Amino acid sequence: MAEYKGIHGTKVQDYTTDPDNPITGQVWYNETANTIRVEAQTTAGAWATGGNLNTGRSALGGAGTQTAAIAAGGFTPVSPYNQSVTELYNGSSWTEVADLAQARRSLAAAGTSTAAIFFAGIRPGDTVLGNTESWNGSAWTEVNNLNTARRGCGGNGTQTAALAEGGNTYPGGNIANVESWNGSSWTEITDTNSAKNDTAAAGTQTSALVFGGSSPQALTESWNGSAWTEVNDLNTARSALGGVGTDNTSVLGFGGYTYPGFTANTEEWNGSSWTEVNNLGTARYALAGAGTPSSALAFGGGNTGPTRLAATEEWTGAGAPVIKTITTD
Amino acid sequence: MAKTYQYCVAENWGKGFIDHVESSKITFAGYPANVWQVPAYNKHGNLWIAKVAGVVKTKDEAQAIVDAEVQAAQAAWDALPDAEKAPAVEMNTRPTDITLEE
Repeated sequence: MAEYKGIHGTKVQDYTTDPDNPITGQVWYNETANTIRVEAQTTAGAWATGGNLNTGRSALGGAGTQTAAIAAGGFTPVSPYNQSVTELYNGSSWTEVADLAQARRSLAAAGTSTAAIFFAGIRPGDTVLGNTESWNGSAWTEVNNLNTARRGCGGNGTQTAALAEGGNTYPGGNIANVESWNGSSWTEITDTNSAKNDTAAAGTQTSALVFGGSSPQALTESWNGSAWTEVNDLNTARSALGGVGTDNTSVLGFGGYTYPGFTANTEEWNGSSWTEVNNLGTARYALAGAGTPSSALAFGGGNTGPTRLAATEEWTGAGAPVIKTITTD
Repeated sequence: MAKTYQYCVAENWGKGFIDHVESSKITFAGYPANVWQVPAYNKHGNLWIAKVAGVVKTKDEAQAIVDAEVQAAQAAWDALPDAEKAPAVEMNTRPTDITLEE
């Protein structure tokens, strides 16, 4: 049996008071209280069901928070296939609001439920799009297009400071092209190191992470505002996954297409590596996400059924560690 | 060999169908046709099935339900216009069979 020292590299230490910054799992002896204590995780992160979308669909765009999200566009396997439907989530149910001007699937999004942009995608007849539409909480306005039309790109940031990463220029191939949005126009900036399609992106315009992609891949790249750096891979290679994050040090990736199947797998990025955490309740691909790594939303997608999923799931991240006393009672 | 999972059919009504406490105690897996997999011989799994009024199925029964749904999906995919099966729609490949675990 492994000993504590063998695992942690040190014997259980004696302290007169609890250490100031114990790491999760650290065990010590408190001489004052005459007790053995541990820095314990209170709760693991977990998914729970949320309100269902009114229109189940895959390849949709999503933005916002866990309690105030927007979903737009997407694909259903029955005519009209490409969707313009827009719905808003209030933390418990979705409500249909004004449609996108351009029906499409495989689009990307950035922003909040009251101030967002949705961009790129592909429309009936397989024409890739550079179209960008801006949402003010009640209506869509067409704004300036991407310089390079594409589908399946990453999207992150805000309505006035966003990034579009990679994608596919069908009938062209996958691209590494990245464009930056300043609230009124797109400007081409530094490419990612590798071309990627059906990728996920999270973070801000100056601190972002792009991960996964076809066919499928585990590659992860980190953006610091001026350069892309390849960092540690996802544990499970996949494309068409969901992703949310605050910056390039805190990201959650979930679901995705693992060809020929799909996954419920969820992974958490801490700035240097991915860790597997609890799975989605329903495995799916081409889903959308909103929120943060501690409070996320996953919605829509596909999972082999004859229709696309309306299911929504809400992620609550791991609770803050607490000091607990180990007893034998 | 003792079974690892049990299955039921229950419609996901949305918020509260699976809550965070339940999700942190057991692992759920949802399949097409409202088939849900939870651990066998597990108090929390049994309580959840009761809560959602799940109709318990054997593994073979659950497999048959999933198979029928997948076959319907495959037929629907076969009937799609060619443009919707285009290579650009990578994820829209023909639905694949699903095999449930014992």
